[in-house]
Amino acid sequence: MAAAAKTRGEDRVAIYRLGLWLFMGSESFLFLALLFSRFYLQGVQRPAELNQPLGLVISIVLLLSSLSAYRGETCAVYGDQAGFRRNILVTIGLGFLFLVGVGIEWSEGFHFFPPSTGFGTVFFTLTGFHAFHVLTGVLALAAVLVRGRKVQYGPGSYWAVEGAVKYWHFVDVAWVFIYPTLYLVS
Amino acid sequence: MRKHWIAVIALTIVGAALLALLFLKVPLVPAQAAKQAAQIDTLLTVQLALGGAIFALVMVFLVYSVIAFRRRPGDTDDGPPTEGNAALETVWTIIPLALVLSLATYGGIVLRDMLRPPPGQELVVKVNAMQFAWLFEYPQYGFTSPQLRMPVDQPVLLRLASRDVIHSFWVPEFRVKMDAVPGMEKHLRITPTVIGNYQVQCAELCGLLHWAMRAPVSVVDGAAFQQWIAEQRK
Amino acid sequence: MRTLLSLGLLKGVIAGLAGTAVGMALTMVVRSALGYPAWQPDQVTLAGTLVGIPAYLAGVGAFSAWWGWVLGKGIEEPGGHHFWGWTRYFGADPNHKVIGIQYMATSLVVIAVAGIYQLIARLETSQPGLQFLSPDTYNSLMSLHGIMMLGAVLLGVSGMINYLVPLMIGARDMAFPRLNAFSYWITVPAVFLLLFALPAGGFDTGWTGYPPLSTKAPLGMQLMILAFYLVGWSSILGGVNFLATIMKMRAPGMGLFRMPIFVWTALATAFLQIVFTQFVGIAFLMVLLQRVLGLGFFDPAKGGNVLLFQHLFWLYSHPAVYIFVLPGLGVISEIVPVFSRKPLFGYRLVALSSFGIALQGAIVWGHHMFTAGIEEWLRIPFMVTTMLVAVPTGVKIFSWLATMWHGKISLDTPMLFALTAIAVFLVGGLTGIPNGIVPTDLYIHDTYWVVAHFHHTLFGGFVFPAMAAIYFWFPKVTGRLLNRGLGKLHWALMTVGFFVTYEPMFWLGLNGMRRRIADYDPALGLGPMNTVVSVAAYVIALSMLVFFVNLVASAWRGTRAPANPWRSRTLEWQLSSPPPEHNFPTPPQVLGSPYGFGIPGSVHAVVTPAGGAGEEKGGLGRVSSG
Ligand code: HEM
Ligand SMILES: [Cu+2]
Ligand SMILES: [Cu+2]
Repeated sequence: MAAAAKTRGEDRVAIYRLGLWLFMGSESFLFLALLFSRFYLQGVQRPAELNQPLGLVISIVLLLSSLSAYRGETCAVYGDQAGFRRNILVTIGLGFLFLVGVGIEWSEGFHFFPPSTGFGTVFFTLTGFHAFHVLTGVLALAAVLVRGRKVQYGPGSYWAVEGAVKYWHFVDVAWVFIYPTLYLVS
Repeated sequence: MRKHWIAVIALTIVGAALLALLFLKVPLVPAQAAKQAAQIDTLLTVQLALGGAIFALVMVFLVYSVIAFRRRPGDTDDGPPTEGNAALETVWTIIPLALVLSLATYGGIVLRDMLRPPPGQELVVKVNAMQFAWLFEYPQYGFTSPQLRMPVDQPVLLRLASRDVIHSFWVPEFRVKMDAVPGMEKHLRITPTVIGNYQVQCAELCGLLHWAMRAPVSVVDGAAFQQWIAEQRK
Repeated sequence: MRTLLSLGLLKGVIAGLAGTAVGMALTMVVRSALGYPAWQPDQVTLAGTLVGIPAYLAGVGAFSAWWGWVLGKGIEEPGGHHFWGWTRYFGADPNHKVIGIQYMATSLVVIAVAGIYQLIARLETSQPGLQFLSPDTYNSLMSLHGIMMLGAVLLGVSGMINYLVPLMIGARDMAFPRLNAFSYWITVPAVFLLLFALPAGGFDTGWTGYPPLSTKAPLGMQLMILAFYLVGWSSILGGVNFLATIMKMRAPGMGLFRMPIFVWTALATAFLQIVFTQFVGIAFLMVLLQRVLGLGFFDPAKGGNVLLFQHLFWLYSHPAVYIFVLPGLGVISEIVPVFSRKPLFGYRLVALSSFGIALQGAIVWGHHMFTAGIEEWLRIPFMVTTMLVAVPTGVKIFSWLATMWHGKISLDTPMLFALTAIAVFLVGGLTGIPNGIVPTDLYIHDTYWVVAHFHHTLFGGFVFPAMAAIYFWFPKVTGRLLNRGLGKLHWALMTVGFFVTYEPMFWLGLNGMRRRIADYDPALGLGPMNTVVSVAAYVIALSMLVFFVNLVASAWRGTRAPANPWRSRTLEWQLSSPPPEHNFPTPPQVLGSPYGFGIPGSVHAVVTPAGGAGEEKGGLGRVSSG
């Protein structure tokens, strides 16, 4: 395949990159629709029972995970397999930590603003969709990790890592919009 | 060259005129029974006549080309290689734009007229829609009725509400319609102008018996209306 | 038997059914363990499909290449296995031509089923009075007719783009061949779900599925939502693929303004698919969440708002009508120059008009809500933006006319269908004006006027162009010509049937015939006209029967087609019929416009001959070689 592509002057990585950007572009409209719904249904209301410290902590956890993902990608670019593995594992760990945080927030939420109330409806939907994306991000990172056992990443052959990490950043950026929409506006 | 243009222009004019005649002479719409209906019908006729003219123009060009410029058997040459004409393309960009914007302006003016509250007192009727029935509440008189009765030439404000799913209030002779949406109240203004019996039909699919969700509507003279009110309040 | 069992489709269905059973059983076990009654239709079937669909996809083989990639195995060249039987069409094959045919065939099957549904429903409404259908069945048949037809249109659009775009731009395949196969194969369970919707109780909401009605509708509603969701994802992933292909895989020299117009329309379509499909996906998911988990999106008592759905829904579904029609309009732009032997008039403006339509389509959704009680002043801006669409569509229609003017027109079957399409689409556009102008819309909204209007746009923008496309490209796809006499019979019946079915509907709508009704008041006097409509609908059905006979007979026994029977200039015609497995052994060199008819010395592209090998290999399964 690579050979056939070369004779035709295709730059496969550029094509993959474009495809990923288009996919993330489409996904961002999903989040846009959800954010719009939050304001359409609930205006800027927010219940006092939201666990503000927890929200802040999981936001920081997710931001940190983007940092380690970035380091993992850089290691892959330079062919440092051990560094790549370590950083991606840390990222996956932070991702799980974030999910645990969301879980705690959910169990509290069921108490104070259950999904059958106005704010509960938008809160559980927004965080639920985002958590699902975090989960897919974790799976993508795990996939490049597994692939890394057979395939050496290095200069010129790091697209898989780049793609997964880009997606991870995307999921992270989505939270950067969701967090203030749920926790800060009023 | 010249003769083609003359033929096409003549045919277009004839076609447009015939279609306009058709829209004016053939009864396309049911009887008018409200002030709003008259305005809407005029607006609709203007749109149909204009649409007819455009339809005639395109179809005459199309059918004429097919007949006049058909390929002779055995001719395998290509036609004249005209690739475009900037002036012509500008014209057919600008003219439709101007046409539809004037239509929108006209429509906007009619809409503004229809929305403006009339001078003087309005009769208020609260319309409660539900699967699959209508109830009409007269808050100024304090009663509820399964039929809608209105005095002729009296502006009426309908306040639409729904108990379950979305319904829509439509009397074809009044033309206008508006949805009854659960959780909110929507307004519709009607001034009935012709005494008679009509029917409100639910126009928004609302489930099993949607087709049967109808109720009688009658427009009566002022005295008969007062008498009906008196009876209802007893 | 062995071959049968090796079919991806069969393996997929078995795995899918098993998965569904497991998912349902698990949910029921969990429910009874938690002390609820085991059976709750919505939750149990939802869980079933959530397990069943991935199991089905795994069975089909849609994941195997990706799984291998994760494990670090190399990826096989698409279609590298040299096996050319019909079985190829029943499994996950990455070749864009195979996928194009799969899409188109599925689309035709779904159109047939959806058409039959409406033919039954039309019998019911041919006379006032409840004849033989219960109102429930009528509502379900009508709703399924709508949603299945629209699904079929999306499939047909993907089919045309898949088959044609890589050939037209001189590419070897799509940018992401395996994603392409995946996009096709997730639509197959959607079709099954829609077929199951009727036995599962149907649904009575129409294709629009407005809540709160849809939150209370029977189980069929949920199957429809899941099907919609799958087709939606197919559409998004397809859009990503189309856009990446067109932007990155064009042959040397194929500048954007040397692309055939069909490719331009595919580009605009892809843009719409990527941007807008998410809105309808989430809207329907909200309905699903309210049904299954009791969330409160559309329940005013729980802080919900029913209009939220309509905004999200139309934010997609208005642009979606351009997803449905733009490729069809592109087909007309391909066919008219070839059969007029003249260059497409005003190429640049026509190319850009598709983008004009796409961008304009993004800001008009409110025109579907004029009577739904959006803010009263908001109706004015939506009316103005809606009217603007006249400009880019006008550009297209006038360009076709100017192309034909002084041309050398031959009325072969594709051209006949293209001409009917122009006429029908024109009526669709003109009758849309009263829908876009608020006061007249308050009158005709939700009546048969609207039904007539959108059938004009869909028949003019998709059905007739798709027929034109099939008659035009069938020789390329199969290497055989469709029968000309049957083709013309099909055209005549369908054109007459169409106009007699749909013109009376305008009158019906004005005179009080609401849409989506199982019965109407005899006092309205609409009976005779409705009978005319119903009879004519059967003429359309008859024409489709002629068409199917023609397809099958010609594929079997038709005259062998030369490489370029219509003397067209675009790239696909410079290859053998059918084209070789990987299209162009060496990339073609593009030098000029695809429509330079009659221009001395004008060349679209230099194609290095495909050679004899391609002739033999690229069959529809008739030739099998080692
Ligand atoms: C033989 C051909 C066809 C006939 C006779 C036919 C007839 C009808 C009729 C009478 C309705 C209105 C039903 C009602 O409101 O009660 C309808 C609805 C509809 N049709 Fe067709 N149709 C045909 C083909 C098509 C095609 C090819 C498409 C799409 C490409 C299509 C798309 C729709 C849609 C979207 C609806 C709306 C359903 C709804 O209200 O939710 N139809 N059709
Ligand atoms: Cu109703
Ligand atoms: Cu629209």
